[in-house]
Amino acid sequence: MTPEERRALLRVEVAQAARLIAPLWPIERFIAVNPLQGLVEEGFEHALGQARRWLGVRGVPTRADLRRALHRGAVGIADLRAVLAEELPLAPSPPGGPSPIELTAVDLALDDLVHGHDSMSPPPPRTVLEWADRQAGTTRSDEVAGEVARWCSILLERHRAPVRLGIEGLDNYQAWRVLAPHDRRLRRLGGRRASALLSSLPERADDTVDWALEQLGVGAADRLGELRGQLARLPGWAGWAKWCDEWAPRAERWPRLSMLELLAISLTCDGLAHGRLRADGLVARSGHDGSVRQPCASAPRARTRAGAALARLGVPRPDSSTIDWAAAVLSDLDDDRVGRLILAAFERAYRTRLVAAVDETTFSAPGPSASMPAAQVVFCIDVRSEGLRRHLEAIGPYETLGFAGFFAVPINLRPLGASETIPAAPALLVPEVEVRERPAPGSEHAARSWVARQREVLAVGEVFDGLSHGPATMYALAEGAGWVLGPIALARTCWPGPTGRIPSLPATRLDVDVAFSLEERVLVAETALRSMGLTCGFAPLVVLCGHGSTTTANPHAAALDCGACGGNPGGPNARAAAAILNDPGVREELRSRGIDIPRRTWFVAALHDTTTDEVRVLDGDEVPAAARPALARLADDLAEAGRGNAARRLSHLPSTRRGRSPARQVRRRSADWAETRPEWGLARNAAFVVAPRRLTRGADLDSRVFLHSYDADADVGGEVLETILTAPMVVAHWINAQYYFSTVDPEVFGAGDKTLHNPVAGVGVLLGADGDLRVGLPRQSVFGTDGAHHEPVRLLTVIEAPRGRIDAVIERNPVLRQLFDGEWVQLIAHDGPGGPWSIRRPGGEWRPLHEDVETCATTRTAILPMSFDPELEVLM
Amino acid sequence: VTVGLTEMTKIEVVVGGADVTGVTEALATCGATGYTVLSAVSGLGHHGVHQGRLHFNDRDTLRMVLCVVPDERVDAVVKVLRSLLEGRPGVLFVSSVKVSRPDYFT
Repeated sequence: MTPEERRALLRVEVAQAARLIAPLWPIERFIAVNPLQGLVEEGFEHALGQARRWLGVRGVPTRADLRRALHRGAVGIADLRAVLAEELPLAPSPPGGPSPIELTAVDLALDDLVHGHDSMSPPPPRTVLEWADRQAGTTRSDEVAGEVARWCSILLERHRAPVRLGIEGLDNYQAWRVLAPHDRRLRRLGGRRASALLSSLPERADDTVDWALEQLGVGAADRLGELRGQLARLPGWAGWAKWCDEWAPRAERWPRLSMLELLAISLTCDGLAHGRLRADGLVARSGHDGSVRQPCASAPRARTRAGAALARLGVPRPDSSTIDWAAAVLSDLDDDRVGRLILAAFERAYRTRLVAAVDETTFSAPGPSASMPAAQVVFCIDVRSEGLRRHLEAIGPYETLGFAGFFAVPINLRPLGASETIPAAPALLVPEVEVRERPAPGSEHAARSWVARQREVLAVGEVFDGLSHGPATMYALAEGAGWVLGPIALARTCWPGPTGRIPSLPATRLDVDVAFSLEERVLVAETALRSMGLTCGFAPLVVLCGHGSTTTANPHAAALDCGACGGNPGGPNARAAAAILNDPGVREELRSRGIDIPRRTWFVAALHDTTTDEVRVLDGDEVPAAARPALARLADDLAEAGRGNAARRLSHLPSTRRGRSPARQVRRRSADWAETRPEWGLARNAAFVVAPRRLTRGADLDSRVFLHSYDADADVGGEVLETILTAPMVVAHWINAQYYFSTVDPEVFGAGDKTLHNPVAGVGVLLGADGDLRVGLPRQSVFGTDGAHHEPVRLLTVIEAPRGRIDAVIERNPVLRQLFDGEWVQLIAHDGPGGPWSIRRPGGEWRPLHEDVETCATTRTAILPMSFDPELEVLM
Repeated sequence: VTVGLTEMTKIEVVVGGADVTGVTEALATCGATGYTVLSAVSGLGHHGVHQGRLHFNDRDTLRMVLCVVPDERVDAVVKVLRSLLEGRPGVLFVSSVKVSRPDYFT
């Protein structure tokens, strides 16, 4: 085999191993992503199996989560019974005989779910070094992980090094190869031979990976496992490498790391540590050693569980046949299955409540008003829009719609005076068009001054940054500036608020007429209007309302911005779309395509700040005089709706103050740099509704639902439904999965405590001074002060459309088959108002959704014990 | 025989958008001097119907990667691509082709 062939095959192996790892976007463009994205095609259950094996996660809620949910009323005993009845149809019957017990398999399983103990077996060793550790009773693999993570930070931060290291212009691996032989910690790790070995490494990272695998004695059959184990040990840095390798545009400014570089360093360090263990006589040989015994699982045996359950259920001295029966029932319920049953109960409870809320609205809401709404306001599908929409509709004659917040205009935005562009589009798209923000006519002078001022501020920041990192200046800076900065910091802590007058941006325009040809603009406009179901009945004002957030000292701020805009605020996309839709040339072309926008209709862009619930009109100076009174009224109503929504949101947030104005409180949270929960973001997201607003208008969906407008009558061919399911729903699934896994496995898939976050190289955060790059959401984004705030359920998609059309769309899109058949997303649908609901099962079978909404969440205390369980004592 | 043309081998791979980087990297590592990627590829395959183009999703549609290599590189390229496509949706076609500017491909 030639070296090229060998290297190419190694790349294939690395790509296969890397499916375990999800890409990690730069933190300032945080994109919520399913942490098991690379395993989606294997289906939820099998993907969890892989994640358990390699990442040591659980992947499903626990019994303790169930008890908390029962206590809060989020799930009911009826839900558990229904799920168990469906899942245990073939469970053996209880023994008969002279005194048959009055129990069923469901009773027994229910008791075990509610009162049993959680356990989790440690995963088996993943790498040669972990096998050796198990054999020798050492923890060298953990030490190596620490060293590799430290080197990743050093290599990516090296451009900020205060002194020249002689590695300028080298890639990460080459730089490490130069520096590593001088690292005392690596020499300590590897013992006497370390220095010589580090000085004679191959020149290329890929050759080093092959060489190190050989040194470790990894056979051909074990290579993939070893590579997986290496990446699984540092999923954060591996995620960054995955983004760099597979997702990052070439010209991105962030310091790169490749999978091969990471593996070369990681495997070399493992080789050093393993060599030391061999030299010290602690292990005999290299390679995976299957002879080492696995520690016994700590899960209680089925008979023990059975005895405990029977005793709790009033059968204190069961005979052996009863014990046998109970053990047979419970032996099928291992912890993984228990977790999936609990998850199914959570999902059933939510589904039941949602369907009940929607049906109640359908039967009680007044019919659609025949009069023209004062304005149509198009919000992003983001769950946080639902609350504002609900409040706005209650105030005035407004129609609201839901659409992906990039408004069908994917752009690379170059803000005024900026030297680089921002990709403002969903992660599934690569925007190809650069749109520039330019001064509006008459604002050129003001714009020049503004840009000059911004550059001054930037320059001061760079000087400060340089001084704070210089070896000679960092202490002098603290001494010299501390007497000024200290009191300022104290003042900001005690009286949070805006820190200075930032001059407002002068009037600007986006050059969409230059960036896009007329034909492209028409296509964008037609796609946007047809996809949001707005092709006739235009109100005099149509507001395209993007969203962003305002928080202080928050590395994860982008996680609160618009996911459809690549983790950026959606204002620019709304402005671009409004400019296109107001273009007379575009409207003329649209008319010939059957979309007649009246001359009096004006599209206005706006931005919803989800932290403060304030809505700001953008490019208001362009609005014609005739539309301004209506816009002013709408702005007032949006402000009132925002206050209402803020009050509602505050009721879910900790540390709120009674009697204080909600608007003032949310503004304070937004400006407070010590506030770890400025808002809840998309926590508790649970469903994605594809239907006209009629279906949900009037229902209080508690800001948990992505709402996408869809009119099945106007989409006979299913093209719009296809667009909605293959893009916005996929993004909603990513968001949902991110919140789900950050909640059920915060140690691996969560970013940890915000108060310990330490930004590194502009790419992400560490927890403290070292360790792996953290993936997922911070603890404070999904957990409250009394347990999980987010309710871990898989996304429930709700569609109002004929089932045949839904099936056809799913059938022609493998991504949808993977999500629905793989049970990553549940799907229910009905044909039209008042129609019966059906649920789609994996494989495509539809079943009627018979669920008794009356019994849901009402019997929570019926089976909870009132004593002995220490976990429950905390809850009671 | 057409005068002035040189026999070479054409490799066509149809894969999902997420696998394109793997294919192009493999081709480059095996010494291919270039390739062409076609988007909006649709059709009926082993995994059912594949939609060619989605409005807002570039990742979940099929692409075709076209590449021409001299005969001596074919074995390596095919071996690597077969390994890459193992267990993945996708097809691989290898056929003879004639090119007019062989220096472009060597």
